[in-house]
Amino acid sequence: MAENRWLATGNFFTSYRAEQRIFLTNIDRLVFTCFLLLLFVWPLVFEVSNKYMLVIDTILIAIVAVYGLNLLTGFAGLISIGHAAFVGVGAYTLATFARILGSDHVLLTHYWPLMILLAGGVGAVIGAIVGLPSLRLKHLYLVIATLSFQMIFQWTINFSRFYDQGQTIAIGRVFWFAGKVTRKQHYFFWYYVILLVVVVLGFAVRNLLRSKHGRCLVAVRDNDRAADAMGIHPGFTKVYAFALSGFFAGVAGALHAYLWRGVGFESFTLHHSISYLAMAIVGGLGTLVGSFFGPVAILMLELQVENIAEFVGHYFTAIGDVATAFRPLSFGLVIVLFLMFEPRGIANWWRITRTYFKLWPFRY
Amino acid sequence: MSYFFQLVTSGIVVGSIYALSALGFVLIYKSSRVLNIAHGQIIASGAFITYALTVWMGIHIAVSFILSMIITFFLAMSVERVFLRRLIGEPIISVIMVTIGLMSIIDGIIYMTPFGSENFSFPEFLPKVPISFWGISISWTQMVGVVITFIMIGAFTWFFKASTVGISMRAVSDDQFASMSIGISVPKVFGLAWATAGLSAAAAGGIIGNITGLNFDVLHSFGIIVFPVVIVGGLDSIFGAVVAGIIMGLIQQFASGYLDGKWGLNGTADVLPYIILLIILLIKPHGLFGIHEIERV
Repeated sequence: MAENRWLATGNFFTSYRAEQRIFLTNIDRLVFTCFLLLLFVWPLVFEVSNKYMLVIDTILIAIVAVYGLNLLTGFAGLISIGHAAFVGVGAYTLATFARILGSDHVLLTHYWPLMILLAGGVGAVIGAIVGLPSLRLKHLYLVIATLSFQMIFQWTINFSRFYDQGQTIAIGRVFWFAGKVTRKQHYFFWYYVILLVVVVLGFAVRNLLRSKHGRCLVAVRDNDRAADAMGIHPGFTKVYAFALSGFFAGVAGALHAYLWRGVGFESFTLHHSISYLAMAIVGGLGTLVGSFFGPVAILMLELQVENIAEFVGHYFTAIGDVATAFRPLSFGLVIVLFLMFEPRGIANWWRITRTYFKLWPFRY
Repeated sequence: MSYFFQLVTSGIVVGSIYALSALGFVLIYKSSRVLNIAHGQIIASGAFITYALTVWMGIHIAVSFILSMIITFFLAMSVERVFLRRLIGEPIISVIMVTIGLMSIIDGIIYMTPFGSENFSFPEFLPKVPISFWGISISWTQMVGVVITFIMIGAFTWFFKASTVGISMRAVSDDQFASMSIGISVPKVFGLAWATAGLSAAAAGGIIGNITGLNFDVLHSFGIIVFPVVIVGGLDSIFGAVVAGIIMGLIQQFASGYLDGKWGLNGTADVLPYIILLIILLIKPHGLFGIHEIERV
């Protein structure tokens, strides 16, 4: 049957291949391409100050990290309260090179794409090691195992002289085809690099989830005994999930190190781990679009809260430290309210809006 | 040698407080299978309420200690009623994340009070001269704290073993449907579990506050150290929590007494519990005294 690739009038799949397509219709593909183009072009058209570019870059890095956490928690069902430590592993991989070879060594400044991949690889290895207990452990015990990795990571950084007791370790400016990236171009340059990483890894995740290597994660999440009966080794799959999530976190960590031109301990604390988990949940666990919405929502919220707290602080100087109080308060409220009233996260709103417009002008 | 015994004594003191802190955690887990990440914050609020009653309102410390336990009892009960009652039957991750959210909310509330940024210490109400025997010295505050701790632990053990409410809690933890069918109100039991956990947390908070002084960060760290304690002991065993608490206390004291400063190591007391936790999890996945879950497909 000759089908019209521009319109989808219903669910008429005749093969599994057709069902697994990323873009259902050509309109989807067109809209998506336009959106991507827009993302790449807008900084050239509008003048953006460094301050805002930094915020956008930070959000994009968080998206990369949340890809990993979403794979681990959303798709493989393994809760991790140590994701910031994995991000830290990536960042500190660069810091190790910077400490041994010097912050402006050619390896760090010229071969930075390689270094980002390497940081991802180290993250994956460490992730697999931390995931090893999952061969025997389940559920809550595993949560605590990731928590203890977070604590061990913090201690290692905080008390080792090699890492300067968690003080910031500088990383030099990178070079590319047009020479050294200057201070003015810095955030601009990294916007494009990180955006590219986000897009490439986004497609990677999407394609992974269409293949058997991604589906095995979901099978283990839903019922690991049944998955075992289907010939999937649950323990190995869990370790593999940890390694995957470690890879994404490592890449995010390396990008973080390059963007901030330094690695400091205070970006990888338990608080950040919880923050990543909140991003994954608010965005929507087990959905790819959730990985985009979550970081945007949480980081924008934090930004707004800081503004509001500053505003309120002027009027109520009597009440303790309003600024420090507002941040955890709003953060906690957002998590709790989302879990109580919209457990499927913002991704669900997105789904509802999409179906509305797809079926318009009909209701359903 | 007396250095060794001194370390043992302080290890037992610290460890028994860990055990009391872990007790409330185990209570909640045992009846409702909820991992309460916000437990440290409940401990902290218990300590702050005790302080506020004692110093700001001028109530005698023994009375305010009991009063704060009662207040926290109802506080924890309402927390369960408002936030967790809706989530019965939701996946584990939602419940854990709600307690993480709660942790942030309570943090925020505490930061609004003076307790969030300043340090306070309880007025001395016991003799200042420490008790000394065989070259070991232990302060009166610690002594009284340990005694209260063991009384509380004994009371809770009895409560679980013999009282009707305790038995119904155990029944609920065993099988919710079966206990419903014999007339136990499961939501009520969950509420009570949180309430008793709040009570024990307030007691722990009061004792910690008296021994270490009131510093939010310190009280925070007591909430986190609870995790290795309960996991090593087994998430659902009160006896396990006591044993593991004391083991952790001893390990920390020995680590800071013998390891720190050697081979360039520092702050080992902060990390050793977690390393031991990982090792024990690899050897005995359900902790020392935890019950093996039997799963059916």
